[in-house]
Amino acid sequence: MSRTQDDRAVKGRRDFLKLATVGAPAAAAATVATGGQALAAEPTELGYTETPHVKAYLESCRF
Amino acid sequence: MAQAAATLAPEVSEEDALRAQLYDLLAVLLRKPPSGDYLAGIGVLAGDASGLGQGIDALAAGARVSTPEGIDREFHRLFVGLGRGELLPYASFYITGFLNEKPLAKLRGDMGELGMVRDAAAYEPEDNIGSLCEMMAGMIVGRFGDPVPVARQKDFFFTHIAPWAEHFFSDLEGAESATFYVPVGTIGKEFMQIEKHSFRMID
Repeated sequence: MSRTQDDRAVKGRRDFLKLATVGAPAAAAATVATGGQALAAEPTELGYTETPHVKAYLESCRF
Repeated sequence: MAQAAATLAPEVSEEDALRAQLYDLLAVLLRKPPSGDYLAGIGVLAGDASGLGQGIDALAAGARVSTPEGIDREFHRLFVGLGRGELLPYASFYITGFLNEKPLAKLRGDMGELGMVRDAAAYEPEDNIGSLCEMMAGMIVGRFGDPVPVARQKDFFFTHIAPWAEHFFSDLEGAESATFYVPVGTIGKEFMQIEKHSFRMID
C-alpha cells in the first residue's frame, strides 16, 4: 500500500472515531477513569480475613 | 483534557486516548463494584443522541440513584454468586462453553509477547472481560512499555475480544440481575461495534 493510501486510511479511521466516540465526553471520562481505582496492583477484597490457610486454599484453586 | 493530553506519549492521538478512557471505564466497572467516589464521578457524565451517548446518559442516571451497597449486591449476583454468577464473562466460556480453555492459553501467549503479566493478587483467569479492557487501555496509552501500534492492537482485539465481547455485553444488557449494569452492557456493546468498524478501516 502506498504511503498516501496508508495516511488516508489512518485519517479515515481517526475521523470515524472522532464522530463515533463523541458520545463519551472526554474531560469527565478522564477524571472518572483514573480517579481512585488503581487497577493493576490492588489487593483482593474477599470479605473475610486472608489468613495463610485461606491463601493456601486460593493458591490451590488458581488456574 | 489538556492535562490528560500532556501525560500521553506523543504517538497517541486524541481519538485513541478517548478509546483508552472508554476501556478504562469498562474495566473499572467490570473488575469490581464501583466505590461511592467513583459513582459520584460517573453521575455527572453526559452523552449525545448516539447509542453510545445514550448508554452513558443511562449509566450516569443509574449512578445518581444507586448506592454502592446495592451495586455491590448486583455485581455479586451477576458475576460472583455461589460458585458462579448469572454471567461468566470469560472468553473461554463464550467461545468453547468451558472455562480455562484454549482461548485463555492463546491469550497468555500474546500477553507474554506484549509484555503483560497477570497480577500476583488476581485469582481469576486473565480472559475475563474486565482484564481484557484493562489490557486494551494499557496497550493504547503505553502502560506496559511503548504504546502498542494500532495494527497490533487490531490483531489482539480481533483474536481475543471481537469473537465474543458484543455477545457478552448484550447478555449483560438483558441479565435478570442487572439494573445499574444494564447501560454498562449498552456502552460495551456500542463501543465494541465502533472498535470493529474503526479497526477495519486500516489495512
